[in-house]
Amino acid sequence: MSAKQFGDYIIRVDSIGKTFDNGVVALKNFSTNIRRSEVVVLIGPSGSGKSTFLRCLNGLEEIDTGSIIVDGILLDDNKKNRLEIRKEVGMVFQHFNLFPHLSVLKNITLAQMLVRKKSKGEAEDEAMQLLQKVNIAEKANVFPSQLSGGQQQRVAIARALAMKPKVMMFDEATSALDPEMIGEVLEVMKNLANEGMTMVVVTHEMGFAKEVSDWVIFMEDGMKVEEGTADHFFSDPKMDRTKLFLSQIL
Amino acid sequence: MYKKKVPLKKSDLIFGALFLIAGIAVYYRVEIALNYNWNWEKIPQFLYRFDDDSGKWVSNVLMWGLFNTIRLSIFGTLLAILLGTIMGICRSSKIVFLRLISGTYVETMRNLPPLVIIFIVYFFIGNHLLPYSSIGDALQGKDNFLVSLVTFCLAPPEHLTTFLSALFTLAIFEGAYITEIVRSGIQSINRGQWEAAHSLGMTKYQQMRYIILPQAFQRILPPLAGQFISLIKDSSIVSVISIPELSFRANELMTGTLLTMEIWITVTIMYLLLTLPCSLAIQKLEDRMAQGLR
Ligand SMILES: Nc1ncnc2c1ncn2[C@@H]1O[C@H](COP(=O)(O)OP(=O)(O)OP(=O)(O)O)[C@@H](O)[C@H]1O
Ligand SMILES: [Mg+2]
Repeated sequence: MSAKQFGDYIIRVDSIGKTFDNGVVALKNFSTNIRRSEVVVLIGPSGSGKSTFLRCLNGLEEIDTGSIIVDGILLDDNKKNRLEIRKEVGMVFQHFNLFPHLSVLKNITLAQMLVRKKSKGEAEDEAMQLLQKVNIAEKANVFPSQLSGGQQQRVAIARALAMKPKVMMFDEATSALDPEMIGEVLEVMKNLANEGMTMVVVTHEMGFAKEVSDWVIFMEDGMKVEEGTADHFFSDPKMDRTKLFLSQIL
Repeated sequence: MYKKKVPLKKSDLIFGALFLIAGIAVYYRVEIALNYNWNWEKIPQFLYRFDDDSGKWVSNVLMWGLFNTIRLSIFGTLLAILLGTIMGICRSSKIVFLRLISGTYVETMRNLPPLVIIFIVYFFIGNHLLPYSSIGDALQGKDNFLVSLVTFCLAPPEHLTTFLSALFTLAIFEGAYITEIVRSGIQSINRGQWEAAHSLGMTKYQQMRYIILPQAFQRILPPLAGQFISLIKDSSIVSVISIPELSFRANELMTGTLLTMEIWITVTIMYLLLTLPCSLAIQKLEDRMAQGLR
């Protein structure tokens, strides 16, 4: 993976903090910069703030302190900025969150038409191409409930890609899947990484992290504990906390 | 559909016997003790009568009443759904002010007797908020397609104002219940649906309009249909403000003809003919939804 060329920083996160209304501190003074085409994998124990970090990046949660800049746009109170960032950052969820009242095709065309103002024809062409890419074109006209988990997740990825995002975030995209379906989703994610998509991935799939990631961040209690290239991180961790965590999940 | 045969139990026989005794008792009261003089043959003419002048069959008071009840129920429900949807969205809004308005509306409507609401709303709308009264005036005396359409759908121009007041009154009253149905529908939709739509760059309005409401309405269809039945029944309450719907006509007719029993039994059947099919349709709908068919 070392032959990969990275661009400038597309995401700049500067010492952000997030405390929920119930007093839980989910992120503490967290900073990181992500370059174009970089694949960053976030690992850490349950409750360490991985999801919260992703959700802050696309404005699903508000940060209390610090700043986030995505592709030169500051994520502040400005509604236009926030909307712009949401369009540039795609997100794939653990539980797929497909729209059950819409066919697979409509799931993918709706936002293209509403947000990107594409015509129906253009949106459908795009959708069919993406469905082919995730190997599920034959299911264009069925409803999500008729698909397996792995198929649903691939549709969800296609749906996010249809918005032509500059960054894709994956929050435990394979955690809700039966073991035999994990492979097909990871395959799609790998292809995406090889095409040069900037990706922020929360996962428990250490195989995927080792093989695909350019940078690994281990976090705990809302703070960054250790980070490094995949080689470095997995073969020669420095912190005791990291060693313990890796010994538990590997 | 396959129906399992239900074996008769002892308790069924006992209940059956009790019903039979009760039936005989009522029959005895009416037929023998009361010595009621049945006059069923006079009833049909109040539904339809033969008009000698035009030589055609024309509808009469009871049918007029029925038509008004149907008009009030259909348009009242449509208006109430509109109002209830707006208020239901406000009710689940993040903005405190909107929640306050819709909350006050719902609590007021649910904690007052319907009769009081009818009078308050009716006199408020009827006496102070009549921007549409000029519509009725404008239509009066003209004879065109619009007038016939309004007359067919709502009421003749000279009665339009009163009719619309009653319609709005019912809609405002019934809208409070629909507000709560819509709110529960919206809140029953998984948070992930909002989040997915948000992540795709949809605005709050688009999320509500294209993702949340369509799913919410699919789920609340049975209770909404139930509310339609409620409105059919509740529409009889506007008889107190002299809207000639079914029970108003029946009451009028009873005073005129003294055919108390016949008229009210007829009216009962007429109401049941309206409400029972709806009830059955709802049951079908719920069965289908329980089976997970879309
Ligand atoms: N909406 C919320 N309100 C209050 N507390 C929350 C909320 N969301 C998350 N938290 C808390 O914030 C902390 C971080 O949660 P987060 O979901 O980011 O962890 P995570 O690393 O994604 O964990 P997991 O691996 O279990 O998904 C946890 O203690 C969690 O309980
Ligand atoms: Mg999480």
